[in-house]
Amino acid sequence: MINANLKASYGADERVLDNRYKQGFVYGMIVLLALFTMGANDYAILIASKMGLLLIAVVGINVLTGYTGLVSLGHGAFVAIGAYAVTIFNNVFTGTLPAGIMPFLSVPFAVALAAGIGIVVGLPSLRVKGLYLAVTTLSANFIVIFLIEQEVFAPWTGGMVGLTTNVPNILGWELDTKREMFGLIAVVGLATILMAQNLIRTRVGRAFIAIRDRDYSAEILGISLLRYKLTSFAISAAFCGLSGALFAFFYARILPEQFELNLSLELVAALIIGGMGRTMGPVFGVIIIVMVPEVIKITFGAITGDAAGMAQLRAPLQEIAFGLLLVVFLLKEPLGINQITDRLLRAANRWPFARG
Amino acid sequence: MGQIAQYAINGLMSGAIYALIAVGIVSVYKATKVVNFAHGYLIMFGAYFYYTFAVIFPGMDWAPAWLASWQPGWMTEMREGLTMFSPMGAVLDWAANLPRIVFGLAGALVCNAILGRIIERVLMRPLMGQSVFAMIMVTVGLISILSGGAQLIWTADADFVPTIAPNTPLRFEMFGTMIFLFGADLVNMVIALLMFGGIVLWVRYTKGGIAIRATAEDQSTAYSMGISVPKVFSRAWVLASTTGAIAGAILATRNGISPSLGLFGFSVLAIVLMGGLDSYVGVFIAAMSVGVLEAMTQWKMGGDWAEIVPYVTVLVVLIWRPHGLFGQKEVERI
Amino acid sequence: MLKIENLHLSFGGIKALQGVNFEAREGEITGVIGPNGAGKTSLFNSISGFYTPDQGSVSFEGNDITGLSPDKRAELGLARTFQNIALFRGMTVLDNIKLGGHTRLKTGVWQALRYFGAARREELELRRDIEERVIDFLEIDHIRKYPITMLPYGLQKRVELGRALAMRPKVLLLDEPVAGMNREETADMARFILDVQDEFGTTVLLVEHDMHMVMDICSQIVVLNFGQQIASGTPAEVSRNDAVIEAYLGAAA
Repeated sequence: MINANLKASYGADERVLDNRYKQGFVYGMIVLLALFTMGANDYAILIASKMGLLLIAVVGINVLTGYTGLVSLGHGAFVAIGAYAVTIFNNVFTGTLPAGIMPFLSVPFAVALAAGIGIVVGLPSLRVKGLYLAVTTLSANFIVIFLIEQEVFAPWTGGMVGLTTNVPNILGWELDTKREMFGLIAVVGLATILMAQNLIRTRVGRAFIAIRDRDYSAEILGISLLRYKLTSFAISAAFCGLSGALFAFFYARILPEQFELNLSLELVAALIIGGMGRTMGPVFGVIIIVMVPEVIKITFGAITGDAAGMAQLRAPLQEIAFGLLLVVFLLKEPLGINQITDRLLRAANRWPFARG
Repeated sequence: MGQIAQYAINGLMSGAIYALIAVGIVSVYKATKVVNFAHGYLIMFGAYFYYTFAVIFPGMDWAPAWLASWQPGWMTEMREGLTMFSPMGAVLDWAANLPRIVFGLAGALVCNAILGRIIERVLMRPLMGQSVFAMIMVTVGLISILSGGAQLIWTADADFVPTIAPNTPLRFEMFGTMIFLFGADLVNMVIALLMFGGIVLWVRYTKGGIAIRATAEDQSTAYSMGISVPKVFSRAWVLASTTGAIAGAILATRNGISPSLGLFGFSVLAIVLMGGLDSYVGVFIAAMSVGVLEAMTQWKMGGDWAEIVPYVTVLVVLIWRPHGLFGQKEVERI
Repeated sequence: MLKIENLHLSFGGIKALQGVNFEAREGEITGVIGPNGAGKTSLFNSISGFYTPDQGSVSFEGNDITGLSPDKRAELGLARTFQNIALFRGMTVLDNIKLGGHTRLKTGVWQALRYFGAARREELELRRDIEERVIDFLEIDHIRKYPITMLPYGLQKRVELGRALAMRPKVLLLDEPVAGMNREETADMARFILDVQDEFGTTVLLVEHDMHMVMDICSQIVVLNFGQQIASGTPAEVSRNDAVIEAYLGAAA
């Protein structure tokens, strides 16, 4: 039985964490995350950072696909744009700008560039729907990666061999360990979740959901499809760009092949598995999408004892597991893990009076 | 001038193969309203099946010698006295391979048909009546399953397979310049065109084809008129996987066999949308145009740039005509 | 207030509207009636901007709005409901009605992402406004947190009216507001429509098959048949019109 649900003011009724249990859960999780950052071993930090980087991008794609109902199979491109933009900006301005304030300029530049290109890629969404959009975004992904790889742009992008990235320096504090970087990723990750949540409880996000549910009905309420579809594209691309910028900070090197179709599909799969159009969906989704390959890797290593002949079977197995996860969720629980947790919470809410 | 002709012909030859691949996507879409993002990987499986039956099995100990290389007495006699690279030599090489080519194609057809049926039965059938989004995403999940599955089964790296037709070099004159072609490419194009035409006619004039068209128009009405919609679904998937098997075998002879064959599916997906998704004619024109455009790009800007031609073209075409060149705009009832 | 002049609309060879002329006068309830397929919904779709007429014009408060998109017309103060309820089914009643307030709010993306500050103030103001003006008014306070899918048909219709009211429209278009309702629900809906006109002075234009209701609450009636306007006038005039009787009952042998 979950109580304390009565409200005395509209303000209290409009809060997101509208009862003590939710507050306790969220604040408890933040404390745990802080303890984790300080105490976890390096391997755990690495895995958690992977999740965090993916999470920021998945929150972005949730805005577009989950809330606005526009499918994209090409958001890996925006992660690439964020990663490359932040690194190139840094390379161009090293020496002219003080290192301590560089991230405050390079990251907004990368995010803005991703958002701008997001608007361009989103332009077909005004005229085509659904699967057409899936193909146009997919095409955009191929084109962006192709351009990055071209010899013509190699002086900036490094072409096929990629770029060595730099360590961010925040007002003199160099984040040169993975642990410090994870701290940054965690803070940014929490901020993006909060921003997405804020978005959908106000005018802009409601307009997105309206477009998803019934576009002509949204128009009749004065919602301009042109404006809001492009806004949605821009916001989601910006989040992906932010994820890319942190990606570049986190890893020593970026390569074009890291941002190909596989990444785009991973983002969408994480969203579907976690739960589309739900605030916590991306969180659940990235945990699964990062953990399952890790678990396969560990168990596989334990069974085969790292035999060289067997090691090459691991990657295909991980790939199959990824596909199976997506398919099984679509067949059995299309609304994702969030739907399962919702069911459990509802049951807890009624307990001990009724089940289900 | 002659250069243009040479590249245009090259383009038409690859365009015909695109059209053959596209037929699978269009047929599945017509029958089930699902755009199969994994079609390229179905083709890749077709290519690997061809490789298995035409290269791996004949090379095994238990296989009869004539399967690996057919050398009847008359052939050995004819071979005597032939110079290197003579056209007749190429034909004889092909004839020696003929048993395994036939065996390979038959095996690829049968195995891919079974694969298509399994996919339809296990993954798509349970989603009948669900949202289009869910069905499309299932095919996206299928990409990973098929791609991982192929790497698991066929761990070998890129390899070569026998060409379907004699690979005789052909030279002839057109617009005052020499045009240079390979016989196998020409035969591939003819096979692709014949199959494309055959399927279009089949859909237009046979009972099974009309059932597909009726289902495309209105699923529930078709169902209530006595058409077995599940049967139509599985027929469409089998059609797609068998044409995919042939296309895969052809692609394997041109590009060698490797998991990256699956990527062809994405460029063909772009072509299909360009053409209008449910129009065979539109898709054919789009496939041919993209083939030629690719060849021209390859000529003027280098082979790299050719690979993004379908993606750039689809963006341009869809902004200009949102439902493709020959697609029908659906009128939304409010 | 809302003036339709010489409106023609066709789809391919089908002439959906052929020369419709009338004006919905300010503060009054105007009814559009006609047999099935007479072009009533096509008329509504032309007024709200989904269809572009081949000929003729729609003007609102004296300005020609024929070329405007639906969202621009909504900003001017034109609201509507749909024949087969077009609520956002995944959302709660409250969120649906809040969407009606879209054009009146100003929160931009930046404010929305931050929430605290301007966006929060505006949200709470909106909440108070719709609670008082819409939810209390339509007596739906007991269901405000329910998802639409859980509501019976009659209540869904009422919520859709509520969403339109949250726009504070100058003109309200109602497409068959009581279709499929029983007598009590019809009476309730008729009362709400009269209350809306009375309390907010809204101009109402409605399409309806329920003759009793139309005759009772409308001050002006327009009759369409096969896309042509065959009569218009007060309920009494229309009900005596020979062309109308013929359209509904068939020509006397």
